[in-house]
Amino acid sequence: MQFRRDGQPFAPFADVGFSLEAGCLYNLTGPSGSGKSTLLNACALMLPRSGGTLALEGIPVDRFKPMEWRRRVCLVPQAASLVPGTVRDNLLFPWTLKVNAGSPKPDDDVLNEILSLAMLDGVTLDHAAAQLSGGQLARVALLRAFATRPTVLLLDEVEAALDEESAVAVSRLTRAMLAGGAACLRIRHRAEDGYAYGVFTLADGKMTYHQNEITADNAPATSAGKGCDSRADEVLAKLKAVPSAPSGVSPLVGSAFDPVASPRSGSPSLQSSSADRKPVEPSAKGGSR
Amino acid sequence: MTGGVVNIGYVELVGASLLMLVAGIVSWRMGLGQSRRIAVSTVRAFLQLLAMGLLLGYLFKYQTWWLVCLVLLGMCIAATQIATGRTNKVVRGLWADVFLSITVSSMVIAFIVVEGIIHADPWYNAMQLVPISGMILGNTLAAAAVATDRLFASMDSRANEIYMMVALGAIPREAAFPSIKAAVGAGMTPLLAQLSAAGIVQIPGMMSGQILAGADPVIAAKYQIVVLLMISAATTLSVVIICFLAYKKRFSVEGYYLSPALRDDAGGAA
Repeated sequence: MQFRRDGQPFAPFADVGFSLEAGCLYNLTGPSGSGKSTLLNACALMLPRSGGTLALEGIPVDRFKPMEWRRRVCLVPQAASLVPGTVRDNLLFPWTLKVNAGSPKPDDDVLNEILSLAMLDGVTLDHAAAQLSGGQLARVALLRAFATRPTVLLLDEVEAALDEESAVAVSRLTRAMLAGGAACLRIRHRAEDGYAYGVFTLADGKMTYHQNEITADNAPATSAGKGCDSRADEVLAKLKAVPSAPSGVSPLVGSAFDPVASPRSGSPSLQSSSADRKPVEPSAKGGSR
Repeated sequence: MTGGVVNIGYVELVGASLLMLVAGIVSWRMGLGQSRRIAVSTVRAFLQLLAMGLLLGYLFKYQTWWLVCLVLLGMCIAATQIATGRTNKVVRGLWADVFLSITVSSMVIAFIVVEGIIHADPWYNAMQLVPISGMILGNTLAAAAVATDRLFASMDSRANEIYMMVALGAIPREAAFPSIKAAVGAGMTPLLAQLSAAGIVQIPGMMSGQILAGADPVIAAKYQIVVLLMISAATTLSVVIICFLAYKKRFSVEGYYLSPALRDDAGGAA
């Protein structure tokens, strides 16, 4: 993984590979400057990549149009940014895009329900986005991503602007939203909240993985309707998921970044043990460049 | 034109340049440091306009269709140079886009006006085609420069928003669209202001010129109306074309926004 930033070669890590299991929430930690955001951005095709491969449910990234990939692998940036207009305009924004042209918009009832799930009861759909507080802003931005039901959610410190209570609520919500079989990787600086299934640590250009002890709170959310929060499941059922990639029942993302020099060096696929699905081994094929 | 043209003698012409002394004195007294620039641009304006007059004199005498087209092409290239010169600091590699937008919009409108409204005879008559194209080009290049400036400024100020939109699956055009809208609006604003002020606050340049040259004011007014309308059409066209071409310079092949950190890399394309 290498690209030019401010005209200087920038390569925070090399030879890093990992895969995510469906229905699981992962934390990504590491000292600042270790490339956590870079990794997330690269997974969402938001940065130039010198090499490496990405696959979703075993389907390599080059079989997707970039926007269709981003539709399924959705990055929520650290700086929450809203489009001008009301909260409703923002939650429905993804449906103004061509990539979602085929899928029906959620109606106001559903939108109200997801607002209340995120403890945004005081915020109405007609609330002007410009009047939201920082914490509300972050949650609306997150809900907007949730509402499109991506296969993989990449959260770049979305809780940074939230107080402890809201942060827990957001974690619970994130977790609940995975019940449909989505996976989530989030950069996080807060203390463990017990929702993470496993923790990736990126430091000194290498990534390590720690499998958390399985509890009721972090066990893989297996299939739709069997998540941890029955209210969330109801809402989830009303939101249409992105039409899953052609083949494959188990949404997994595998990714491997190789230095340009050795595009064929095999990257270990970090895999978690107690899942009943087999993670896809990232194929070390020369990346796009 | 009819006979009432009052020729200006060369002595008077040089005398008129003394008017620039006002600007020179202001610059000198206030320490603006512009004296040199004032002198240079005065001389330039002198030479360029006289040369244009001479050139047009020859062109009217010996015009052939290809010679006229060559002159028009040269004007388009010069206009592009001036317009890109103004935006070069913001973004490079816009020459082709600017040339396309200025040339297409100006030439389409100029030919519609000259052939369809003025009915020039022969169709390539330089006496109509050159001044009309020149007027249109002057306006489209200014509007295109304003619009590009605004487009890139707006996209940079919306960088976070664009980033978010792309992350949600927006294609570059969708993510850039609010900026394109703002830029097209900005490019058209001076024109609309000019349209509504025409005839009340100022007598536009062309009409004044015809009146000074002894033409019937009503004929001059009719010409001016046509000129204003065609300038509106041409600037709108050029602004729209340039905006819908230029925004792509800030997006990679994969459709993500090239924020300032990613730019040095000749597009940073993946």
